[in-house]
Amino acid sequence: MDNGHVMIKLEHVYKSFGQLEVLKDISIEVEAGEVLCIIGPSGSGKSTMLRCLNHLERISEGKLFIDGELVDEKVKGRDALKISAKKAAALCSELGMVFQRFNLFPHKTVLENVIEAPMLVKKISKDQAVKAAVVLLEKVGLADKKDEYPSRLSGGQQQRVAIARALAMNPKIMLFDEPTSALDPELVGEVLEVMKQLADEGMTMAVVTHEMSFARDVAKRVIFMDKGEIIEQGEPEDIFTHPTQERTRTFLQKIL
Amino acid sequence: MNLLIKSFPAFLSGAGITLELTLVAIIIGIMFGMLLALGRLSKNIVINKLSGLYVWFFRGSPLMLQLYFIFFALPMIWPALTIPMFPAGFIALGLNSAAYLAEIIRAAIQSIDKGQMEASKALGMSYGQAMSHIIIPQSYRRLIPPVGNEFIALLKDSALVSVMGLTELMRTTTTLSNSVGNAIYYIPCVIFYLALTSIFTFVFSKLEKKYSAYE
Repeated sequence: MDNGHVMIKLEHVYKSFGQLEVLKDISIEVEAGEVLCIIGPSGSGKSTMLRCLNHLERISEGKLFIDGELVDEKVKGRDALKISAKKAAALCSELGMVFQRFNLFPHKTVLENVIEAPMLVKKISKDQAVKAAVVLLEKVGLADKKDEYPSRLSGGQQQRVAIARALAMNPKIMLFDEPTSALDPELVGEVLEVMKQLADEGMTMAVVTHEMSFARDVAKRVIFMDKGEIIEQGEPEDIFTHPTQERTRTFLQKIL
Repeated sequence: MNLLIKSFPAFLSGAGITLELTLVAIIIGIMFGMLLALGRLSKNIVINKLSGLYVWFFRGSPLMLQLYFIFFALPMIWPALTIPMFPAGFIALGLNSAAYLAEIIRAAIQSIDKGQMEASKALGMSYGQAMSHIIIPQSYRRLIPPVGNEFIALLKDSALVSVMGLTELMRTTTTLSNSVGNAIYYIPCVIFYLALTSIFTFVFSKLEKKYSAYE
């Protein structure tokens, strides 16, 4: 699937929360089938950047392109968008997201969690949705838990359900916001396994993570961010073994 | 003793009216309160401020004043708007209750983790879909204690309608007591109120247990 087609593009994006400038002049591209890992110290803006991609946060300045279409544009803080809000929302739903805290729907069973959005948003029939859901749950290894409530599952299991739930909407791109940061160490592996499988199948992924081994093994490209800026980007081997920037070196020394 | 036995049907009827008033009023209160709560959460400034105005007014003035206004004052201003006792009762109680319930419901909705709305949006749901399928259903469990509270308060506030002459439980008691000149009627009065409030306290605690199945 790797044909160089650009799935996500941020062009000179700035983001501020009131007076606090969180993203400064961010420009990146993510190609189809690529796995991009974003690393950096906390407060560097990694999660904010990810959340701008699917409109959970709105950019303050710059342009956002999804699958070639201009989805968000702000000039001097004012909306300059030419397409309708509805179309923008539809484009953003081509991105799936997995959250640090899973955010499963506690009042619904595992199966119900996975079929809810396809039925509501894509108006798929219940039978079809259930069939597709079971396949996805089998993929993440949790088909036998489909009638359980999330509170009965371990963190690792909940996150795998969350991945299945996001995949149920057939996204073109999957966003992962520190997917294993809230997990006990021994549960991290099972989630990374599922993510690795997705990557092998050619899914375009943008992952904010502290799991350096995952970034090293699975990512095609790694971006290092600090204080709202992209300091360095390149192939995992380059970034991890011979980083060119001082700040990158300092960060890697602390965590490797 | 004979007095009490003879008066039992009157008390039963009075208690029945108290219960009916409360039930109708709480249903009006919840439905209207839910709309007001959503209004208070709305990004539309007009809807937001109007809802806020309603809550401010109906919580800020005495229930008795609102009741008097609907039953006594309205017909004076506009004769066509003469409302009989029973409807005037549940309308006043309902409109007043809606203001309190609006805040209760709003708080319950806002107490649901923000991540739930984020996950819903990330999955492509609209704000309306997320609210009705994900957020509001989760708020039910949190609503049960405060709404139960409001219901029980309403059962007792309903005594105010006696100023209109409606023979619910309180007025039945005072009428009997004053006409016969015997305070003994206050005993079944308090027993009936306690019976009504206790039954519903029990019902609400059962409801709460039922809704905590998944937590």
